[in-house]
Amino acid sequence: MLTTDRVAGVALVGIGLYVLWESRALPLGTLYNPGPAYMPVVLALLVILFGVVMAVTGGAAPRLGGVGWSEWRHALVILVVCAFAALALERLGWRTTIGLALAFLLGVVERKGVLVAAVFSLALALGTFYLFDTLLRVPLPRGPFGM
Amino acid sequence: MTIRVSALVLALVLMMPAFAAAQDAYPSRPISIVAPFPPGGVADLTARPIAAALEKVLKSPVAVVNKSGAAGAVGMSFVANAKPDGYTLLLSLSSISIIPEADKLFGRKPAYTVDQLVPLALLSADPTILVVRSELPWKTAKEFIEDAKKRPGQISYSSSGIYGTLHMAMELLSHAADIKLRHLPTAGAGPAINAILGGHVDVLASGPAAVIAHIESGKLRPLASWGDKRHPALPDVPTFRELGYPGAEFYIWAGLFAPRGTPAPVVAKLNEALRQAVNAPEFKGPMEKLKTPIAFKQGEEFQKFFDTDARRLAEGVKRVGRIEEKKK
Amino acid sequence: MAETLQNLYLGFSVALAPDILLYAFAGCLIGTLVGVLPGVGPLAGISLLLPATFGLDATRAIVMLAGIYYGAMYGGSTTSILMRIPGEAASVMTCIDGYAMARKGRAGAALAIAAVGSYVAGTVSIVLLMFLAPPLAAFALRFGPPEYLALLLLGLLVLAYMSGGSMVKSLAMAALGLLLGMVGIDQMSGYFRFHYGLVELGDGLGVVPVAVGLFGVAEILTTAGQAKPPEVIRPRLRELLPSRREWRESAAPIGRGTFLGFLIGIIPGSAHIISSFVSYAVERRLSRRPEEFGKGAVAGVAGPESANNSATSGALVPMLALGVPSGPIPAILLAAMMVHGVSPGPLLIRQQPELFWGFIASMYVGNLVLLILNLPLVGLFVNVLRVPYPYLYPAILAFAILGVYAVNSSVIDVWIMLLMGALGYVLRKLDFETAPIVLGVVLAPMIEMSLRQSLALSDGHYGIFLERPIAVTLLAVGLVLVLFNLWSFVRRGLDWRARIALAEKGEQT
Repeated sequence: MLTTDRVAGVALVGIGLYVLWESRALPLGTLYNPGPAYMPVVLALLVILFGVVMAVTGGAAPRLGGVGWSEWRHALVILVVCAFAALALERLGWRTTIGLALAFLLGVVERKGVLVAAVFSLALALGTFYLFDTLLRVPLPRGPFGM
Repeated sequence: MTIRVSALVLALVLMMPAFAAAQDAYPSRPISIVAPFPPGGVADLTARPIAAALEKVLKSPVAVVNKSGAAGAVGMSFVANAKPDGYTLLLSLSSISIIPEADKLFGRKPAYTVDQLVPLALLSADPTILVVRSELPWKTAKEFIEDAKKRPGQISYSSSGIYGTLHMAMELLSHAADIKLRHLPTAGAGPAINAILGGHVDVLASGPAAVIAHIESGKLRPLASWGDKRHPALPDVPTFRELGYPGAEFYIWAGLFAPRGTPAPVVAKLNEALRQAVNAPEFKGPMEKLKTPIAFKQGEEFQKFFDTDARRLAEGVKRVGRIEEKKK
Repeated sequence: MAETLQNLYLGFSVALAPDILLYAFAGCLIGTLVGVLPGVGPLAGISLLLPATFGLDATRAIVMLAGIYYGAMYGGSTTSILMRIPGEAASVMTCIDGYAMARKGRAGAALAIAAVGSYVAGTVSIVLLMFLAPPLAAFALRFGPPEYLALLLLGLLVLAYMSGGSMVKSLAMAALGLLLGMVGIDQMSGYFRFHYGLVELGDGLGVVPVAVGLFGVAEILTTAGQAKPPEVIRPRLRELLPSRREWRESAAPIGRGTFLGFLIGIIPGSAHIISSFVSYAVERRLSRRPEEFGKGAVAGVAGPESANNSATSGALVPMLALGVPSGPIPAILLAAMMVHGVSPGPLLIRQQPELFWGFIASMYVGNLVLLILNLPLVGLFVNVLRVPYPYLYPAILAFAILGVYAVNSSVIDVWIMLLMGALGYVLRKLDFETAPIVLGVVLAPMIEMSLRQSLALSDGHYGIFLERPIAVTLLAVGLVLVLFNLWSFVRRGLDWRARIALAEKGEQT
């Protein structure tokens, strides 16, 4: 019963309602002088409309479970590592962060062996930093100890 | 075992420069000047020459970092909240005083406040110039103002965005001359100039460097300037002060700021370096090519200039108010 | 005509001088690198090198910076085709069919077609620039807010042709993209919208993090964990070049893409990236086998790649002819000229013939250099596909984070990219197209601003759209297209999209 289209439709309706809620603080204006809330409201209504249509006609779509989510754990781990990288980037500096993230991805997630992971991540972290920060003068964040 | 030892040695070797650096006098690390606008704009074009000149004087690398966004608020708040160690400076335009006022107007938590920053030096102060399309009949500012009084809200002008520098300049004039104009905000100074050149609006308040070429080619006619004296490149253009509207004074100025709390010896060293840098060819050359006269003010002088300007703009912003509410 | 040839002779004598050639080459090389790097586009590349050009004279500086500009358009297709990551926002459409071609073993062909298409488009558009710059620029300036809105609405119609599958789903994605584009400061009233206290969101989500996230990161999330990793393709040398059939199929799209891109490029302020979207849609509409699109249609690579290259020359038209910035990148080029004491303006062509013609000639040379650079490198680039995926994707992620961060030194952009990556992953699982979202993010602020600006100009009267000739024409064209499609839909009962949907369902059962 839970098909992809139905779930998507409901999610869209949810997004539309959320936008409508958030827009209540902004002045709406009139048709002749639209305010900052005008277009978001119109779009939110459209999104809700499409969501409803999708949810109602979504019976023919494939079942949610049948789509093939086998790799979701893997994808989640990758996302978490990237989130760590985003958090650590300006605190630990570019080289440390990328080195740690890549080492984790290669060593733990892909199970490629400690030495390979270490060499690869060190090479990439230091290499990209040298290329961009030193050669091209694109400032990359430096953490404690100037790393 | 060998790997661990080599890792330790590697770590120690990499940490050495940091230890060495911590003991030297200022500046011992590269200094970054944050330009809170996209590259190619006035802030950027002033920041890079002064960075080059400072680098020569201080004998230490000085780099320009563009942190644009939210009409400058991103870069300005970044420096306002940065560590006050003298390694992060801000090259800001006059909009620095406008943004916190606008935030107050909308009841938002301000991204930064002006007292989080300490003014170091004023580098340039270009007055805005009033230009009209050359097809239009007004030959002097007086004619324009009289016509505007007769047809309130009919004459249109473009600006770089609401509460932006070009908008506030026109707003100061409207208040001083008691006229009402129709405002067309655009997405930046470039689109604002496109709008007048394309004939979609009638007048524009613009920084001189951007429009001098069009004045020379005859597409735009300058009527007056918002400065306290006539612009050297446009000696025939009177100032609004001369014409009897002293309230219409506005400069797109560029100045260097540091976060409040920067230690006094660092500030003193920077001020001394700036005094030398402003006379250096690395700075003077590009500024001349840009036809931007250098207006150097420091210390008390700059503080006074900055305070007057900030007050004028704050009043202007409050007068403009929230457009949406007024229309109701 | 004779005068132009004489000027060209002058231009080539300037451009072929060894040191100018060197700077053009350097610019093209850096541009290609910048284009290959995901996220970092020509804007970032040019701003990086602007200070380096202060010590040079005007011609050298402009030649190098422009080289970065169009060079980036060549490089952007490389990562799009090989790894489905847009090298810059303009290469998003190349990701779709280019990557599909790569998966079919035709990566070399795709890269070669992209390079040749870019060369043809670049060269032809420079010829147009050379002869038609001043009148075209004057025409382009007449695009004010109402004309702009009409054009953008026409662009919205394009969304209907961008993807197969259900119409409702594409429209929903478009609406979602438009909604995402509403984040940021409202330029007309000063209100911050949907920014949750983050001042960095003041300018919106940014098309670069959104594009790299929705396409690149989502691709990695979907593919990395597959039980069977993507097979390493080892193409033979013979297979590297396009077949005769592929060349024939790409000829017309290249031509169409060139003209389309150029026209879109000359309009000031239009996001030149929409040129590749429009070209894709046009190719899909005109193709005799539209069901191929999305699975490796040659036209889906040839058209958009040509379009985005000729759009860059188009963007230079108002800049050179009138001294008017038509976008952020021409604005920097203008600034670079001003810094060197050259006042850009309508008299530039007359006052600075060496600069103008030398610049034009250097663009010819630059495009040729890039073609020569890129074609042999096809063999090199294709070897990237030989790297086993578990090693490849962490490197890609590192570069993606680097590229997105470096644009504005902002970690918030990295977060946006990650969130969009997660969204893209979910959407792909639920069988939604993500390209309309990127287009929506780009178009939304422009559409809203044009509408409200038009109303500001006319003091609330909607009649302004009917009073201006260009706007009326564009709106009429749009109306005709809509009616035409509705009519054929009604007449044939089933339109081609439903036919594809049926065919796809047939495949699934």
